[in-house]
Amino acid sequence: MPDIQHYVLFPNHDNAMRLYRELKKLGVRAAIAPTPRSASKCCGVSLMVEKEDLEKIQDIADQKDIEILKIAEVEKDFNPHRDRYC
Amino acid sequence: MADNRKMWEELGMNLELHDQLCEVLPQAVGDVFLSQENRPDGMDYYDMVVADIHGIRPSELIAHQEKGGKVFGTFCVYVPDEIIFAADAIATGLCGGSQFWVPGGEKVLPTNTCPLIKASVGARLDRTCPFFRIADMYIGETTCDGKKKAWEILSEDVPVHVMDLPQMKRAKDVKAWAEEIVTLKEVVEEFTGNKVTAEKLAESIKLINNKRKALARLYECRKSENVPISGTDALVISQIAFYDDPARFAQMTNKLCDELEQRVKDGVSVVPAGTKRIMLTGTPLAIPNWKLHNIVETSGAVVVCEEMCTGTRYFERYVDESGETVEEQIDALAERYMGINCACFTPNHARIDDILRLAKEYKVDGIIDVNLKFCNLYDTEGYFVERALNEAGIPVLGIETDYTDSDAQQLRTRVSAFVEMLNN
Repeated sequence: MPDIQHYVLFPNHDNAMRLYRELKKLGVRAAIAPTPRSASKCCGVSLMVEKEDLEKIQDIADQKDIEILKIAEVEKDFNPHRDRYC
Repeated sequence: MADNRKMWEELGMNLELHDQLCEVLPQAVGDVFLSQENRPDGMDYYDMVVADIHGIRPSELIAHQEKGGKVFGTFCVYVPDEIIFAADAIATGLCGGSQFWVPGGEKVLPTNTCPLIKASVGARLDRTCPFFRIADMYIGETTCDGKKKAWEILSEDVPVHVMDLPQMKRAKDVKAWAEEIVTLKEVVEEFTGNKVTAEKLAESIKLINNKRKALARLYECRKSENVPISGTDALVISQIAFYDDPARFAQMTNKLCDELEQRVKDGVSVVPAGTKRIMLTGTPLAIPNWKLHNIVETSGAVVVCEEMCTGTRYFERYVDESGETVEEQIDALAERYMGINCACFTPNHARIDDILRLAKEYKVDGIIDVNLKFCNLYDTEGYFVERALNEAGIPVLGIETDYTDSDAQQLRTRVSAFVEMLNN
């Protein structure tokens, strides 16, 4: 089974950063990442989060009126030895 | 992020081609940055900037233009941003660091031109970079022959002002550079319709000095025995410094440095004790050129300093803030900028002195002298660099590379052998 990484996608970076700050305050793990192409054709900021936190994250977004476009599941595939640069 | 596409369309960008760049960025960022362990929390700001690099800052620049402001694109650390900001305009970096833009440049430039120039020209002519589309005027300089001809090609497509950088460092050359800064001031004033007053220039000198001080603080942390931040993370911060709002950049970098200084106190390191410390010297590494740092740092070493335009040359030494007239301020600018040691100068002994000094300050175990392919100036100066390092007993590895991935395995082999040699 491949490792699955969950990404929260937003309509703009303001929403992404607002949610990121809320999650940090509450100690919920999140990392800022470029939106993977397999999740969306549109570039931009997304948040990498843990599966077990998804429900909590959705609740926080609802409470704080932060708009989430979708939550995408993408195969986790970070390889610092891949040597494929931009 | 539908707004980005609308913005890019309005900028006249080639969306289909640009999509190919968007395609590869997330994976490269994941591999190079998000795969790292124990990164400082303060990297989140820079992660955001990179994640939406063609969205967030471009939209701010456009908002500035909508209010009647001008944007100037620059390519080199010799161009004094202070003059541009003093005219209520914004300076933004335009250096191209991606192979993606190179073929576009090769349509009009000889293949044996350095990838930095080819990428810069390609990014403009192929309409695949928002920064190149947004800038109302480019400020070029005469730091190499390739650039001098590139400005002529670009000037057929966009207004370009070229600053004539002297190639020696005699008193009359510093004076000549001051005169070039006066000309730049006049060009900027005419283009923006705003006067550069002593008061405005004093403010912008402080603004840019504060950015330099924040970067100096970051580099100071990297001198620590415990390395609180990876070289790759530090590199992307230096790269972003060329594009970001200077006041915000200084604020965010100082915030990060608070955390790094705490890490230094607590003995937190991103690498195991004894990891060999590497300094890179040579040609600039424009965003998103992360290849060599990633290779070094995944080969058992850590990069602690860059004697490069995307490194110490950008922030070392401040502009004297005591000038009260525009003339005094411009003399202070000329003095500071002519103190940068680029290989375009002859002679350039001060750069060798810098490298030897930095090697001590950052306690480096070895140096990689890296040159972009076809950069004749730095390549030739490598003779003196490597001789001086050999005489000082500092191990050195000379590397010539470009933006392609094709030499990555060869580089890994050479860097690994170098690190192994340092470990023995």
